[in-house]
Amino acid sequence: MAKLQEKTLTLLSNNKSTISTANSPFSDTSNDYAPPADLAAALNEQEKHKYIRLKQIGSGTYANVYKGHLRADPSSLVAIKKMKVQTDYKEGLSMDSIREIKFLQELSHPNIIALHSVFSSKDQNINLVIEFMPHGDLEMVIKDHDHVAYGLADVKAWMGMLGRATWFCHENFVLHRDIKPSNVLIAADGQLKLSDFGLARSFADPYQPMTHLVITNWYRPPELFYKAKYYSGVVDVWSCGCVLAQLVLRSAYIHGETDMQVLDAIVQALGQPTEENWPGVSKLENYVMMKPPTRPLTSKAEMMNLFGTLGPVGVDLLMAMLALDPRKRLTSKQVLEHEFFKIAPRPTKAADLPKKGGGEKQAAEDLKRKATLLGEGRGGKVAKKLDFGAARR
Amino acid sequence: MQRNGAVPAPFEDAEEECPICHSKRYLRKDMKFMINPECYHKMCESCVDRIFSHGPAACPVAGCNKTLRRARFRKPTFRDLQMEREVDIRRRVAEVFNREEVDFDTLKDYNDYLNDVEDVTFNLIQNIDVEEAEAKLDAYAAANKQLIQSNMKRAKEGVDTFRARQEAAKESAQQRRKAALQEEEETRREEEEERRNLLKALDAGGDAEVLTRQSQEAMRYRAQIRKEALANEISANENANGSAQFTIRGLKKHVEKEEEEEEKPYDPFDGLSDKREYFVLQEDYGWENYDRLNKPEYSAGGYNIHEYYNRALCEAFSGLGVFIGDSSDEAPPAVASAGAALAAASPMSDDVF
Ligand SMILES: [Zn+2]
Ligand SMILES: [Zn+2]
Repeated sequence: MAKLQEKTLTLLSNNKSTISTANSPFSDTSNDYAPPADLAAALNEQEKHKYIRLKQIGSGTYANVYKGHLRADPSSLVAIKKMKVQTDYKEGLSMDSIREIKFLQELSHPNIIALHSVFSSKDQNINLVIEFMPHGDLEMVIKDHDHVAYGLADVKAWMGMLGRATWFCHENFVLHRDIKPSNVLIAADGQLKLSDFGLARSFADPYQPMTHLVITNWYRPPELFYKAKYYSGVVDVWSCGCVLAQLVLRSAYIHGETDMQVLDAIVQALGQPTEENWPGVSKLENYVMMKPPTRPLTSKAEMMNLFGTLGPVGVDLLMAMLALDPRKRLTSKQVLEHEFFKIAPRPTKAADLPKKGGGEKQAAEDLKRKATLLGEGRGGKVAKKLDFGAARR
Repeated sequence: MQRNGAVPAPFEDAEEECPICHSKRYLRKDMKFMINPECYHKMCESCVDRIFSHGPAACPVAGCNKTLRRARFRKPTFRDLQMEREVDIRRRVAEVFNREEVDFDTLKDYNDYLNDVEDVTFNLIQNIDVEEAEAKLDAYAAANKQLIQSNMKRAKEGVDTFRARQEAAKESAQQRRKAALQEEEETRREEEEERRNLLKALDAGGDAEVLTRQSQEAMRYRAQIRKEALANEISANENANGSAQFTIRGLKKHVEKEEEEEEKPYDPFDGLSDKREYFVLQEDYGWENYDRLNKPEYSAGGYNIHEYYNRALCEAFSGLGVFIGDSSDEAPPAVASAGAALAAASPMSDDVF
């Protein structure tokens, strides 16, 4: 991989040929070269011409989704996500769209959804050409109690794939910041594909603050509820831990209606963060002791009661992914190195994994939902501020 | 509604597979499915053996977590497990509420009694007020212990003739099995004789190599005949069941391929590695500038300076493998560069991972 990193320059030019920069959203960044306007238009037309757009399969606030295929090969299906022009952004393109394009373009991995192309249509809308995912997402599989039964080997295979996607992001200095079952799509061959990079960002420089308003709250780690500004890749590991727990329980492990309730659910499920089990936690801006008496850290025996299906080694992994103190939490690399993936049962082969035939409609649902309802600078849709007033009392 | 209360819907006939190990019925003719009345999750016999032979364990079906015991596993009677469960519940209720019409003065009394019993049964089946229904059942059982016993005896007498018929059926099945065993014995004897003949011929001074080859060929030929006969029989059975989708030949190939793949150990990283070519990350670079990061305001959120060292070095070294002549006159991008390179993770990359 290192070698890949270092190949940057040679590849940059290759990249330009696969992804048209005509009407590029990057034209305001310094590192982009600007081809002459007519050349850009020609490139764009060329790119656009490669695909045939079929019927619309969904529409949402941020994008309409169409089914399509390569002009040259009608059997190679794609989803074309046409981003709607956002009137509240001067550039006409939301930060989320830019992020999504940027990171998807950069990250190429079997477990990360592939962005085939970007082009603009007549009305200046950006079109993302993405892999077509007819089998829906992991959340649908988890929820479909009536038709889908699965076991430990399947859970292990899914966690391996999600773990690889997360590790690959981190290895390339990208935080996903919105990992949850509905953002994990299932390809026709059974592979999982991490999608929706609308909240992703590169790792921060030292002392560079980041927002805590990321990750859908059921999958958000405690440090973000405490408004930590300086965090690391293990925020995504927490989310993966929540996904693992949910795969086993077949319902969300930590949940609540408000942020306050979710934080309380974390404490009830795993224990109260204190200076002893998480040195320095009380210095975080929004740290709050929940109701006394302090709930001690959850023991392994207690976790075994709930997650016995995982076996003792699996429970060890789960607990290490859900460590309250982010410095004690496993990194995405350590997750993959865990004993859990070495012992029996062997993870199920991707092709044998249970999947739900979601069909076109679900493929569209997944894509159009667009990021989450939270994020930086998104006005009314920004996650509600944490209200700790009630708890402080 | 209880999460674990839901029972899987009837499974489809085709491609029936074990949800735990994914063995498919069409690949393993002898595969048997088992259920445990604790939760009615089906799994194959070998999964039951593997998971429960060392004592009680959690049900391996995700979302269940009920503790199951080996001894309570059995073959389901019905393909529809929902039905299986209902029948079990009805049997259990009927064993307790076992009065008959003759026990009642009027038909109305009997009907009222049946109505009450049906209410309890229905609630148990539908998972409605289960605790209350169970309590009713227990209370009745405790209060009518004697009566239940005597009613049971009465019912048994009626059943005896039925049982006799079942015994007869069992017997004929045993006879059939015996015949199959005899046949097997015969082939074994055949082989034994062949071997004896060979030894005799060798004693008589025949060419060992030729004789051995001949004998082996004869045996192979006979084995082939038997195999074909077996295949025909199985496929005839399949035709009879109306599910002949796979020939024996196709089946064998598939199994062999699976075994081959199984030999490679699982690699959680799927062939990728995080080795950096141009540097080895040090524990500490002594950059005083970053000492403040150890203060809890910065560190308690999990910020990891090593992630930064890694990135800074990566970016510093990126481009080392590139010759100036190759690159265009663009300035190297700062942050975005890291990922652009990743496009090369595609299979056409010549990198060895
Ligand atoms: Zn079960
Ligand atoms: Zn099995």
